[in-house]
Amino acid sequence: MIRRSTAILSAVALAFAGFVISSANSQQSPQPVKAVQLMGLSGVKDNAKGTLKVEGNQLHFVHAKESSDVSVTSIEDVVTGADTQAAVGKTISTISIAAPYESGRFLALFRTKIDTLTLRYRDGEGALHGAIFTMGAGGAEAIKKDLVAHGAHTTAAEEHRTTPAPPSNPPGKEQRQ
Amino acid sequence: MNHLQKVIFWLSVSTLVFTAPPLSAEDNRPAKIKAAAIQVEMIQSDEIQLPAEFQIALYENLIRQLEKQGGFEHVYRDGDRRAASASDLVILHSTVHGFKAGSERTRKVTTVAGATSISIHCQFTSPDAKSLLDRDVSGKVRFFGGNLRATYDFAKKAAHVAHENFAPPDRKS
Repeated sequence: MIRRSTAILSAVALAFAGFVISSANSQQSPQPVKAVQLMGLSGVKDNAKGTLKVEGNQLHFVHAKESSDVSVTSIEDVVTGADTQAAVGKTISTISIAAPYESGRFLALFRTKIDTLTLRYRDGEGALHGAIFTMGAGGAEAIKKDLVAHGAHTTAAEEHRTTPAPPSNPPGKEQRQ
Repeated sequence: MNHLQKVIFWLSVSTLVFTAPPLSAEDNRPAKIKAAAIQVEMIQSDEIQLPAEFQIALYENLIRQLEKQGGFEHVYRDGDRRAASASDLVILHSTVHGFKAGSERTRKVTTVAGATSISIHCQFTSPDAKSLLDRDVSGKVRFFGGNLRATYDFAKKAAHVAHENFAPPDRKS
């Protein structure tokens, strides 16, 4: 009798704990990720810097005190990738052209790893749009997970299930340039 | 006829000889196909594994360049329901048949190596799938710029092809 009541109590406690944890997770809002919108997002200039955040079934790109939103359910595909960008800025790169004996080219060897996030989504008329973002390494995968959790679709996961990625690809990266 | 008059005469004749052929060639150009609107289908790359960002950049740049210099009254995106009621519509299907991912770093360091190139077959059809025009268009970035710049190069060339071959029905071709 005591065993049975203990078991029932344990089950109730576990169920309650599970409920509390899941509700806490659903309320948890992930941190915005700094990103650069390369192209494609309606009403946003190319190479606009801002932050990306998934909140309330919307993907927000906040830039220059404005927010451009994409409904997560309208996203047909989310793909992450890896790339590199020049470690030195444009100004230094331009100045380095004047360096003697073309030594400025040396700076081109220094590059930092970045993530790319590519979206395909449809507007109210059914028209297909695409948007490309770049962000610090590791940022794209977190945004993608959030988007998929909120109902966005991805073909990359399906491809991974059917055809394993080549061994040269790092885990979690679908495409490489 | 003095010497000066002779010189002027022969100069006029030679000017006529050099300018007349291009003018007549212009007349022989095939007439432009009448089209008021174009619908751009998503770039297909079934045979070539193309990075997702390239596919989207090709599509978005193509739409932008067609809006800018294509000469169409309307440019519709893939799946846009409004295109169904558009008159004089052509549909652009693009299929990637060649892609070489270069390296921006190699380009910057060596100048001569690391070019990125992409070859795409563009087919313009009528809404009932009748082929109107077929062209192979390439996009390249040889010296400066990121790899995605090849998509901009392609889009500019493809829009130029459209501009050269299509015209709105009311416009003189």
